Amino acid sequence: MSQLTFILWILNVIVDTSGQLAFKAAATNSAEFSGMDHWRHMLARHWFWIGIGLYVIEFVLWLAFLSLVPLSVAVMLGSFNIVVIMIAGRLWFKESLTKWRLIGILLIALGTVVVGFG
Amino acid sequence: MKRFYILGFLSLIFFDTLAQVSFKYASIHAEPLAMDVAWLVRVFGHPWIYGAFVGYIGAFFTWMTLMKHAPIGPAFAASYLELISVTLVSVWLFNDTLTLPKVIGGLLIVAGILCLARQETPEAKTGETALETSPS
Repeated sequence: MSQLTFILWILNVIVDTSGQLAFKAAATNSAEFSGMDHWRHMLARHWFWIGIGLYVIEFVLWLAFLSLVPLSVAVMLGSFNIVVIMIAGRLWFKESLTKWRLIGILLIALGTVVVGFG
Repeated sequence: MKRFYILGFLSLIFFDTLAQVSFKYASIHAEPLAMDVAWLVRVFGHPWIYGAFVGYIGAFFTWMTLMKHAPIGPAFAASYLELISVTLVSVWLFNDTLTLPKVIGGLLIVAGILCLARQETPEAKTGETALETSPS
């Protein structure tokens, strides 16, 4: 894996995770509302728009990453984002990392290493 | 009801695969990769990028419809199992190769996704609902 490929991969992981965290923050802040009120409340939260902005960046970063690796490799390495997002969910939103989640994380991480460096 | 799930999951995988294949075509046509406006212009000037939008929008609405009735575990797995369909389509359309690391790594990732999906089943979740409903 070339240096540029590695950097773009890391950037993809960071921006995707940040975007998910921003949306989660926007959604949980508005959780006490429901239906249209929920959406109206969320659209007023700055976290929502930060999330949108991050995903616009992610869109471009993903395209750049795809220019450098085969599509099959790209989606497999992209699966690693799940791992980072779950760890971030534990750190920021106190989401529990139960037995099955930990096993799943380990398997995905292992698979990513095999695809990326095998 | 079962036909609803199967159709729903297949639609999801179809739209996700369409989005990824469109992205790949767009990135190929925009080559060479460069950190400048000209590259962006090449990306958005080519029709394939709009296939990606169609894929994303289709996937979004399929997901929302599924979420009303489908259990979240299998739905979550289905949304990531595009891995398999995208890889197969990539071999077919982009002269990708199925090397041994890819097959082994891919199977490990799919196994991991299935473990995560299993966590989302109602039986597994009852143990942690107490944790999740407490304010953070």
